[in-house]
Amino acid sequence: MDTTATWKDGFRATLPILLGIAPFGAIFGVTAAATDVDQWAAWASSFLVFAGASQLAIIDVIGTGGAAFTAIFTAVVINSRHFMYSADLGRYTKDKPMGVRARMAYLLTDQAYLVTAARFPDASNAPGLVPYYFGAALALWGTWQITTTAGILLGAFIPDSWQLEFAIPMTFAALLILAVRTRAGLLAAVVGGVVAVAAVDLPYGLGLMTGAAAGVLAGLMADRRYG
Amino acid sequence: MTLWISVVVAGIATYLIRFSFIAMFGKVEVPPLLERALRYVAPAVLAAIALPGLIVRDGGVDVTNPYVPAAIVGGLAAYFTKSIGAAIVVGLPALWLFTWIVG
Repeated sequence: MDTTATWKDGFRATLPILLGIAPFGAIFGVTAAATDVDQWAAWASSFLVFAGASQLAIIDVIGTGGAAFTAIFTAVVINSRHFMYSADLGRYTKDKPMGVRARMAYLLTDQAYLVTAARFPDASNAPGLVPYYFGAALALWGTWQITTTAGILLGAFIPDSWQLEFAIPMTFAALLILAVRTRAGLLAAVVGGVVAVAAVDLPYGLGLMTGAAAGVLAGLMADRRYG
Repeated sequence: MTLWISVVVAGIATYLIRFSFIAMFGKVEVPPLLERALRYVAPAVLAAIALPGLIVRDGGVDVTNPYVPAAIVGGLAAYFTKSIGAAIVVGLPALWLFTWIVG
């Protein structure tokens, strides 16, 4: 593209995505409020971790009696996909000051990366990439903080009979349905789920880790077979 | 306290993941095995959280509890709309319906 992108362009490109993020933020907040966990810590995870699925997983693990290291490991595994975004974004930011890169890293999300990568397919010629990225990433960050906070405040008034805890497995099941695109991916999911159920009695919530490891291994083996 | 520790440490670790390759000047490539393994992290972890949450009740497997049909209804909504929000908006009333039928 010949015109230099501005933060407003990044902000605008993100608006339709915000419509999908806002309900997820509210669901996270309301669900956190429906559990027995420390509400302040749940709320703080929105700016300390700032990654929805992993925040929900941490609350699920701790809320069901799992250990801190299980929650941390699960969050790290879920967020390991950011390695890919970081590697790709790194190609664009080679010549940028370290302080700018440090701030870009804090705001890195699936959506901020995808919006930016879609606008700048060529890393060697990307005028205005940094303001564009910040316009998109800050819009996502602000929306997440507002909607998760609102959800936690609102959730305190919702009665137990609404069974909002259901939103945790339902959210992960929905994310799973959207994430499976190949046969090897499907196998990873089936093995991961079944092993996690079989190992559900392991202490510290270790069943989750066992299932995840088995699933990744199964996916890798199938990947090698089918190519 | 356990949740605070988890949130702070997970936050630091997540930041380091995000900063990793951006910090390394983009000169370091993702190792191929890691790249391949990362493809299967999402389906494996998501299933390992979702399935026990849906079918394990009071320590035992129970595939007839109301969560299961409600999740199937919500899952279909997610599949056709590509939206997480739709899964909850459709799945939750389905759960109330199935709970009411069983109850």
